[in-house]
Amino acid sequence: MTLVSKRYEVADILAAQEFCHSRSWTDGLPVVPPTREAVEACLEWALLPADHLVGVEPVRERAVTAEKLAVNAVMAGCLPMHFPVVVAAFTAMLEEPFLMHGATASTGGCAVLIVINGPVRNELGMDGTFNALAASDRATTCIGRAVRLVLCNLLDARPGDVDRSTLGHPGKLRYCLAEDVEHAPWPSLAEDQGIPPGASAVTVMAAGSPRQVMNEWTTRPEEILDTFVAEIKANMRHYSIWPGNYAIVLPPQLRAHFAKAGWSRRDIKQYVFDHARIYRREWADVGKAAVVGRHGDQEYGAMPDPEHLLIIAAGGPAGGFGAVIPPWLGPKSKAVSVAIGACVDCTPPSA
Amino acid sequence: MSIEMLDPTHEADAVGLAMAGRLPALEGKTVGVISNGKRNTIPFFDAFEHALVETHGVGQVVRRTKSNYSAPADANLVEEVRTWDALVAGIGD
Repeated sequence: MTLVSKRYEVADILAAQEFCHSRSWTDGLPVVPPTREAVEACLEWALLPADHLVGVEPVRERAVTAEKLAVNAVMAGCLPMHFPVVVAAFTAMLEEPFLMHGATASTGGCAVLIVINGPVRNELGMDGTFNALAASDRATTCIGRAVRLVLCNLLDARPGDVDRSTLGHPGKLRYCLAEDVEHAPWPSLAEDQGIPPGASAVTVMAAGSPRQVMNEWTTRPEEILDTFVAEIKANMRHYSIWPGNYAIVLPPQLRAHFAKAGWSRRDIKQYVFDHARIYRREWADVGKAAVVGRHGDQEYGAMPDPEHLLIIAAGGPAGGFGAVIPPWLGPKSKAVSVAIGACVDCTPPSA
Repeated sequence: MSIEMLDPTHEADAVGLAMAGRLPALEGKTVGVISNGKRNTIPFFDAFEHALVETHGVGQVVRRTKSNYSAPADANLVEEVRTWDALVAGIGD
């Protein structure tokens, strides 16, 4: 296998850390030195030649090759078996509707939320239960971190360079979780997004930080969703009124109430779509009277249609805690789902 | 034992960018202004347009706005640029 990346020799693993830190190749945490052997192992596991073109970032006209993804994945701590998920994530992020340059450069400071579905979750030891939105397991942690390192190293999305985020949020270190489908009363998020049942898949969304909510004092689906709707409406008032993809994370304790009441994904989407609405004049209540203008009575929905709500089953078994994950900025970026390891329009690697 | 490691960056494979040639004078020229579309570009480019015309004698200022301020300029805008003598692309935030 021919690798084209420039090679450097360092004295030992500690020297490798300082070598990488000094060149701004890290997120501040230690990295695994990307040796030729480790990079080749990733590529071989994914059955990808090193020069496989995953895509081209159009604004900077920058090629995203399997080799460069693998180098960064190794640095992030990925094992070879994690690598196909990293490739799938970038395949999705390079889809035009995701608008990767805008999402990674904006002052709005979103991060790439990655939701993983299918058998690969169990194969890689992912855990969508306890601490699902944080470092719940090795695979989601390393895969999420790999995405960030690629953005920094391959696309220059380092803070102050292409990444112009005013604040950013902690998800920029890693924002990756596996859906807890086994304990959900519905088909997976990926299936809901059109991925065939049984396929492993990633869904990416340009996402703000999670806003945690709690409601342990009702079993009625409408009341549970009213709590989530209130948080969505707060985001519309305090951050951005524009409609786009929202995600809600539902833990088992709350999902059980929906299951018992016979609510489907579709029912939840429709309820949230119908109720997550504010009037433009509400901006005046939160210090934004200057931009209400003459259209104060205009009503805005959080989503253009019910399908823009992503429902994610995740979380530990106890607790009525959920989360609302808002979009980066309205409709500018759309969530994208792709199957892992499936290629519908490419030829098999030759060698 | 030493470690040989690979470069994780693009290694400067991006297409090089160069500034366009300078016009000898702005008098009578057509200058295009592409705004990213944010609200604050309006007063800024109003003042800019005034300065171009009143101070530098620019013949015509063509104001255009991108359809999406987070995405590259639309293809029809890029095509229209060919008809201008100079272009200013500006960001207002």
